[in-house]
Amino acid sequence: MYGLIWKDIINLKRYIKIFAVFFLVYGFMAFAQKDISFITGIFTLMFAILTMSTYSYDEMSQWDVYALTMPITRKDIVRGKYMLMLLLVLFGSIFSAVFAILINAVIGSENIFAGIGASFIGAAVVILFYSILLPFITKLGIEKARIILFVVCMVPFVIVIFIKKAVNTGVVRVPDQMLQFCETAHQYQYLLMLVVLVVCLSISYFISLQIYHKKEF
Amino acid sequence: MAEVFSGKDAIVVQDLTKRYDNFTLNKISFHVPMGTIMGFVGENGAGKTTTIKAILGLIHTDGGKISVLGSDSRDVPKEKKAWIGVVLDGSNLHENLNLRDINFIMKRIYPSWEEATFFAYVKKFNLPDNKNIKEFSRGMKMKLSIAIALSHGAKLLILDEATSGLDPMVRDEILDIFLEFIQDEEHTILLSSHIISDIEKIADYVTFIHKGSIVFSENKDDLIYQHGVIHCRKEEARQIDPSYIVGIRENSYGAEVLIQNKDAFQRRYRQYQIERTSIEEIMLFVSRGKERM
Repeated sequence: MYGLIWKDIINLKRYIKIFAVFFLVYGFMAFAQKDISFITGIFTLMFAILTMSTYSYDEMSQWDVYALTMPITRKDIVRGKYMLMLLLVLFGSIFSAVFAILINAVIGSENIFAGIGASFIGAAVVILFYSILLPFITKLGIEKARIILFVVCMVPFVIVIFIKKAVNTGVVRVPDQMLQFCETAHQYQYLLMLVVLVVCLSISYFISLQIYHKKEF
Repeated sequence: MAEVFSGKDAIVVQDLTKRYDNFTLNKISFHVPMGTIMGFVGENGAGKTTTIKAILGLIHTDGGKISVLGSDSRDVPKEKKAWIGVVLDGSNLHENLNLRDINFIMKRIYPSWEEATFFAYVKKFNLPDNKNIKEFSRGMKMKLSIAIALSHGAKLLILDEATSGLDPMVRDEILDIFLEFIQDEEHTILLSSHIISDIEKIADYVTFIHKGSIVFSENKDDLIYQHGVIHCRKEEARQIDPSYIVGIRENSYGAEVLIQNKDAFQRRYRQYQIERTSIEEIMLFVSRGKERM
């Protein structure tokens, strides 16, 4: 399975130059504006998007059919993609955090760690997002799953906007118990986030495995 | 055709059935004895690739059993999968990789990857080590897949149209490599091809698949020995015992008849001179004969 992850990483090496350019451009902008807020989490996202590129490469070359003739199981292929996704998100968050600290130090920000929390929350959102998306990619292939990607991105926004509007205009009254629950949840937000992530990832992985086992090549 | 399964078969396919909307692989059976080269022949769309995919566990079947190196094809353990070298019809390698990348990846996939062997084949096949695969020709890609298949201590090679797309010189060179590989009596090759001359040159056994069914699966020399062609007048052809006739090809001058059980036929019909035949000719007579029926 590690061979599969290496295969993806080697395929992504062409992005190094593009990333270096981004790094310089964003670094310069943050330095010029003495503000890092707009770059927080940007690298987490950029690294995370690479997961989808590896699916594209595999599909273009019809790699999976070849890989399955090697000492690689269907489970290895699914697990390899989930591990790669987590690795990229983790790497992206660390990169984002280090970048934020560096820029904070250079621009002489009061709080050198400003923006780090946001980059890790960004990582959690990305993992949640992939938990929904990966079973669709496994089932439909990356091209068709792009439509799902759009839906997955849009639906939460639409729902939040709708609820916000409903609450503000007084059409819906939020029950007190729910407000209390939200406050309690807020206290334990990091723990809660971790539990939600683990549960969603596990369910997603299990579904993807089932889908991949039934696939024909 | 009676199938004799022995413990010394590298591959045993028994009553394999796979149904698609417009094609059915119909209860096919054959076996590939260890230490031999099995040529798997048939026209495009006859079911060669479907059978190979079933052997490799890439598709789910609707019936039958397949054993590969003694294990059920749906559940071949990893250590045995490492003994199987596969060349598929396409290249299946990422276009932006180069040979060093491939060596790096395969080293981490195959426990018994032989780096020196791989680069020796790369040199032998004149593959450019400074170019990405997208710049390789179809022949180069094929040679690369063959180099990979031969560089991890494989005992069984499964090759789907591995020699197509190669020029005759290279094809000959690769067939020699296959013959060298088979010198070890534990080594086996299943080679599917529509280039019959390749099969005639190296195969010990020939399995002929036609429209999803196996027509024959036999020793190549026996096949050639037991069959023969006679030339006669059309009306004479009609008087021959049909049990000897595999197929008849008629033209304005008379008829060509492919006969089986050559020795028995000769004893009964001494007036005909029997000409030697080839696998290609047998296939053509059989498939056309079948279409007429």
